Amino acid sequence: MTRQLKLSVQLLALACVAGLLALLVWQLSHQQHAPRVGSLAPAFTLRRLGGRGEVSLASYRGHPVVLNFWASWCVPCKSEAAVLERDWTRYRRRGVVFLGIDYHDLAEDARRFVSAHALTFPMLEDGSGRVTGSYGISQVPETYVLDRRGRIVAHLAGPITAGPFAAEFDRALAEAAAA
Amino acid sequence: MILRLLAVAAAALALAGPAAACAHPRTSLAYLEGQVMCPICHTTLDQSDSAAARQIEAYIAQRIAQCASARQIEAELVANYGPAILAAPPRKGFDLLAWWLPIAGVLAGAALLALGVWRWSRRREPEPVELAEPGLDEETERRLDELLARYD
Repeated sequence: MTRQLKLSVQLLALACVAGLLALLVWQLSHQQHAPRVGSLAPAFTLRRLGGRGEVSLASYRGHPVVLNFWASWCVPCKSEAAVLERDWTRYRRRGVVFLGIDYHDLAEDARRFVSAHALTFPMLEDGSGRVTGSYGISQVPETYVLDRRGRIVAHLAGPITAGPFAAEFDRALAEAAAA
Repeated sequence: MILRLLAVAAAALALAGPAAACAHPRTSLAYLEGQVMCPICHTTLDQSDSAAARQIEAYIAQRIAQCASARQIEAELVANYGPAILAAPPRKGFDLLAWWLPIAGVLAGAALLALGVWRWSRRREPEPVELAEPGLDEETERRLDELLARYD
């Protein structure tokens, strides 16, 4: 092997290693994390569950928004469904919007879930989990409360019926509605 | 694991009616369990015991009972969950790289290995020994000529 050829092979190997390192850095820097309380909630547009049009988060600017991430296969989601529906009927008169975001779920099962729990607030589907990923959701249920400017007031990584989350949810909801 | 098997068995029993309509299923749950990912645990369905995986397994069992093919079921799952639901990337567009890069890597490695072995084997070959021509000194050559001249 000539000296030039040897050098070319070494350069190629170095380039491969550099490429792999760059890929690793890119992967690490693009990992999705939950947005912080106080920051703007990531924007999204999602299809309504059942496919009747799309809903954009931006269209609710000026209203406090509760984003509840759920799935029909999630057992704790069943226990909090009634509480969410109760709070929705209580707070909607004060301009609070509730949005349910169903993720990694079969649409038919999700519709059955909504019907079984008589949920009446808007339901959106995020089958691929793209939006859910931008909110750093690692489990369901999780709930975000946003104020009128779209800033995150609270992030509850668990069912809102669970001890500490229940009080925090009530506090955040009251705060967002009053602001 | 037992719960999971019971859930799948229950789903299969619930679908006994439609199953009767399909005398010759076109694929199997066992096959698709290895081809489809659990969306929340990022392993194939056969490696997962999550509720989400069980839900998809029940759906697959239902569709198999309705005589759907593996390709049909995969397409339906992709429409619902996106392409990441499949364990193997699609064989088109940019995703083709995922299929060809490993093959190219193996071929390049094999070529480099072959080149290395070839060079190593050449280096180890004994150098041919140049035999010095046995030259005759002038005296011997003269006597040899004289002897040969006698027979001319």
